[in-house]
Amino acid sequence: MFYRAAGQFKTSYRADQALFPVRQDAMLLGFILILAWVVFPLTASEFAFQTLLIPILIYSLAALGLNILTGYAGQLSLGTAAFMGVGAYACYKMVTLMPWMSPVVAILLSGVFSAGIGVVFGIPSLRIKGFYLAIATLAAQFFLVWLFEKWAWLYNYNASGAIQVPNLQSFGVYVSGPQATSMVQYYVVLAVVTLLTWVCINLTRGTTGRIWKATRDMDFAAELIGINLMKSKLGAFAVSSYIVGVAGALFVFMWRGAAEPNLFDVPLSFRILFIAIIGGLGSILGNYLGAILIVGLPVILGVLPEVLGMQTDSALAEHLNTMIVGALIIFFLIVEPHGLAQLWRLIREKLVIWPFPH
Amino acid sequence: MNYTARLAAAAMAATFAASAGAQELNLPNLSYRTGPFASTGTPVMNGQADYFTMLNARDGGIGGVKVNAYECETGYNTEKGVECYEKTKGDAIVTQPWSTGITLQVLPKTNVDKIPILAPGYGFSAMADGEVFQWAFNMPASYWDGASMILKALGGEDMGGLKGKKIAFLHLDHPFGKEPLPYLEKKAADVGFELLPIPVGLKEMQNQSAQWLQIRRERPDFVIMWGWGAMNTGALTEAVKTKYPMDQFVGIWWSGHSDDLQVVGQDGKGYRAISFNAPVEDAPVWADIQKYVIEPGKTESDEEQRGEVFYQRGLVMSMMLAEGIRAAQEEYGTGNISPEQLRWGLENIELTAERLDELGMTGMVPPFSTSCGDHTGHSGGWMLQWDGAKFVKASDHLQENRDEIAPLEVEKAEEYAAANAPWPTQDCN
Amino acid sequence: MLHDIFIAPFADMIAAPDFLMQVLWEGLVSGILYALIALGFVLIYRSSRIFNFAQGIMVVFAALTLVGLHAMGVPAWISVVLTLAVMFGLAVAIERVVLRPLVGQPDIILFMATIGITLFLIGFGEIIFGGENKVMITEELGIPTGSWTLEPFGGLLILEQKDVTAVAVAAMLVVGLLVFLNRTQMGRAIRALGDDSQAALSVGISLRTIWVLVWFIAGIIALVTGIAWGARAGVSFALEVIAYKALPVLMLGGLESIAGAIIGGLMIGVLEKLFEIYWGQPLLGGNTETWFAFVLALIVLLFRPQGLFGERIIERV
Repeated sequence: MFYRAAGQFKTSYRADQALFPVRQDAMLLGFILILAWVVFPLTASEFAFQTLLIPILIYSLAALGLNILTGYAGQLSLGTAAFMGVGAYACYKMVTLMPWMSPVVAILLSGVFSAGIGVVFGIPSLRIKGFYLAIATLAAQFFLVWLFEKWAWLYNYNASGAIQVPNLQSFGVYVSGPQATSMVQYYVVLAVVTLLTWVCINLTRGTTGRIWKATRDMDFAAELIGINLMKSKLGAFAVSSYIVGVAGALFVFMWRGAAEPNLFDVPLSFRILFIAIIGGLGSILGNYLGAILIVGLPVILGVLPEVLGMQTDSALAEHLNTMIVGALIIFFLIVEPHGLAQLWRLIREKLVIWPFPH
Repeated sequence: MNYTARLAAAAMAATFAASAGAQELNLPNLSYRTGPFASTGTPVMNGQADYFTMLNARDGGIGGVKVNAYECETGYNTEKGVECYEKTKGDAIVTQPWSTGITLQVLPKTNVDKIPILAPGYGFSAMADGEVFQWAFNMPASYWDGASMILKALGGEDMGGLKGKKIAFLHLDHPFGKEPLPYLEKKAADVGFELLPIPVGLKEMQNQSAQWLQIRRERPDFVIMWGWGAMNTGALTEAVKTKYPMDQFVGIWWSGHSDDLQVVGQDGKGYRAISFNAPVEDAPVWADIQKYVIEPGKTESDEEQRGEVFYQRGLVMSMMLAEGIRAAQEEYGTGNISPEQLRWGLENIELTAERLDELGMTGMVPPFSTSCGDHTGHSGGWMLQWDGAKFVKASDHLQENRDEIAPLEVEKAEEYAAANAPWPTQDCN
Repeated sequence: MLHDIFIAPFADMIAAPDFLMQVLWEGLVSGILYALIALGFVLIYRSSRIFNFAQGIMVVFAALTLVGLHAMGVPAWISVVLTLAVMFGLAVAIERVVLRPLVGQPDIILFMATIGITLFLIGFGEIIFGGENKVMITEELGIPTGSWTLEPFGGLLILEQKDVTAVAVAAMLVVGLLVFLNRTQMGRAIRALGDDSQAALSVGISLRTIWVLVWFIAGIIALVTGIAWGARAGVSFALEVIAYKALPVLMLGGLESIAGAIIGGLMIGVLEKLFEIYWGQPLLGGNTETWFAFVLALIVLLFRPQGLFGERIIERV
């Protein structure tokens, strides 16, 4: 009904391969964009900004970065959080060394640094595969976090060893630091996320994306048909780390306001991997669905008892929360191992042919 | 059974609270009863909660207004902590962030949200500077105070006994553990002892054999420990193993937890920890706690826990907050005070010996007072010593060297304000 | 600089041989425990190609159950038996609820599922046992707690009796396991499944039974590890992080090799301790143990992508 494709005739191959073969998809996307750009910011409370909107966007972006590497290029990585850390520390050093620099520019540039580090730690992928590679990326994870702790220059020799985001202006408005309003920060995050998502959609649809997918499905075979594996794998590491690094800079500058090294430890990496997998590997939409579930669910579970008028023991609620998240992960893996994105694909297909199923 | 009973009680409390209307003092506590630090968190949280339960039952709250002291669980996780802060700040008149990491993040926000932040015995030492940190309070003593007291206990009044000695500083590699380093480094240069910082990573807390091998190799004269949670047990078992003399091993107040010492038992005899509170078994306040909290079964603590330093520290913390509220209520003549008014109250705590006597808590914390410029109070403290089964008071009242710490506080506070410009300050003169 | 890296550490070692022996001993003890955890991983990986991240939390869970049961007044050895029963129940539950529906899924999905199990067990364990640090019932289990002091080269070498016990028990466990895998029908079935699952299934080996069995063995290993490690530093959820230490051991030793897990564990235990004491602490500010094992394994992998003892990876297009 909503998705009836009847009457939408394709007259060229180009039209058939367009991003939105069914017009309703474009309308749905437009609707979501209006929600994100207009409706949410006007209606959201401070609590919603800080615990739902901003973090969901940032986590989606980080998961998107990981998904490029793992979902498209097939290189499993457990070091995402460390690369986020590289982005965050690079951004911090840039704005403190060059205070005139616009924080938004600094955030976009900080990804370059993490891309560089990502390529270095991506080199073993040319020889190592599968779980061995996954554990190898853990080397990056632990080594970089250790470096964040030990290299005092990174945090400007701060006594506490943590970085604190300064108040910074861009076009006369506070963009980062405690003086910045949530609304401004939300728009900065949203703009960056929209931009990078647009880039990724087009990147994965084009030649680069196809090369990555060939590498993922079987790298030897890809090599035989003339794909340069080194370029393909390291390129994936670079793009992925760039996005992850930008997400890390946003994470600290637009949301947390301060960071200590162990923030970028393994649990964060796993959290992002959850988002990517629950959302669906090899899908862009999936990252958003996964982030909504993994980030949003605990918040809602935490608020739910209060809304229902129950007062629970907060420690008990927290434990239950951990249990439920664990159980849900298993549940979703069993129900739909290809993630929420696949679930949506199935629903959409059903809707397109509704009410006449095969 | 325990949980169902508690749930039922909580539900009852919620219904009553709803009928009582908005006349309540909301005091959220960003607690951590889960995670690797839960062992140290739980008894303190219990003590905090029990004190307010007692006030509610005995006096009907503070100044006639019921206290709603509730917890938001963070698991010592900074992200959860910030979430809790955002969730609770709406109607809260104070925030208690607990971890140094959460404090770090919440501190700049409190300036904008205008909520006082109460970090008793933790957070930054520089918070003592009330002119810069208007909204932050860390009474009764800061980490630098603690470090100073420890050095005095080890080296005598002028710390002269430390000259030429070697002191290992075993600390958690985390903002909390690094906090006393500026002060210790300064003293090492002034007094002439060798300071050997030994960091313990968060992942190495339970397996500190490398750190203790280093201690064995370096043979320091003293080991000062800035540890928390599972790190304390790890360090103590290793110390016993390497046969490090316990009377040369001293911890900060968060390393003086009975549960941690129980792991080593008799072998830990002689270990000391500085503390701003001391266990007093026969303090009059116990009678009220017994009558209003324990007998009606409104507590999560157990008999053994209540004898411990940490539970009693929880009581002291809540007492300080209650005193701040009382001061504000008297000043502004209203029961239902605002966060701004509580800020004034916390700046004007007069905890004299007489007042402690009235509260039935003599000897549990040294008398102190706060002011506009001094948000810590600098109560000083006592050395507690493990006698093989429990902690006992093992020194006279120790007072830090104020004249050394004050300039450092001003310096670091200004540094902080400069790095976070524009940073609002107040003028106290 | 070069002197500090290449000469000074060795001079230190020679100057204080008793201290060097102590360092080696400490490394050996940690190494044994890493090897035990890695062994749990390898067993499960061989028989089901599942990379079981939950091994770490199983260690905590087993130790907590043991201590919790004893705190309820159950005698120590009966607690051990009951804990084994609980671990068996856990193995059955995991097979039923998690693994059976996920048969045939890609490796990464199964890996994620074990992280789901980890989270579930953390929450569940905290509700039942609480988060505070508990004392391992070392003495009640008859583990000696004293220490032997030796004086080699006129120095000092302290050997904790419980560490010696841990090493001995671990060695016995490993030998027992090898005998089980090589000499019994069940054990051979496990190995057959690891070598070729299709062939094993076609000769009538039951996948379900084997999975339950393997997870139960992993549970036994978890309990032994939990007792040994808990005796050193108490039992709490912070123990869970030792699971990470088993990962480089697996890389180094190879995911399928039991011998690799043991040798890799010992190697990493000893080398990371030596590096930390003689290079990490004087030159790098300490705490290098968090990453040394990973970097070492990474370097080895660059030369041998399947680890020291892993099966050669042969890829066909």
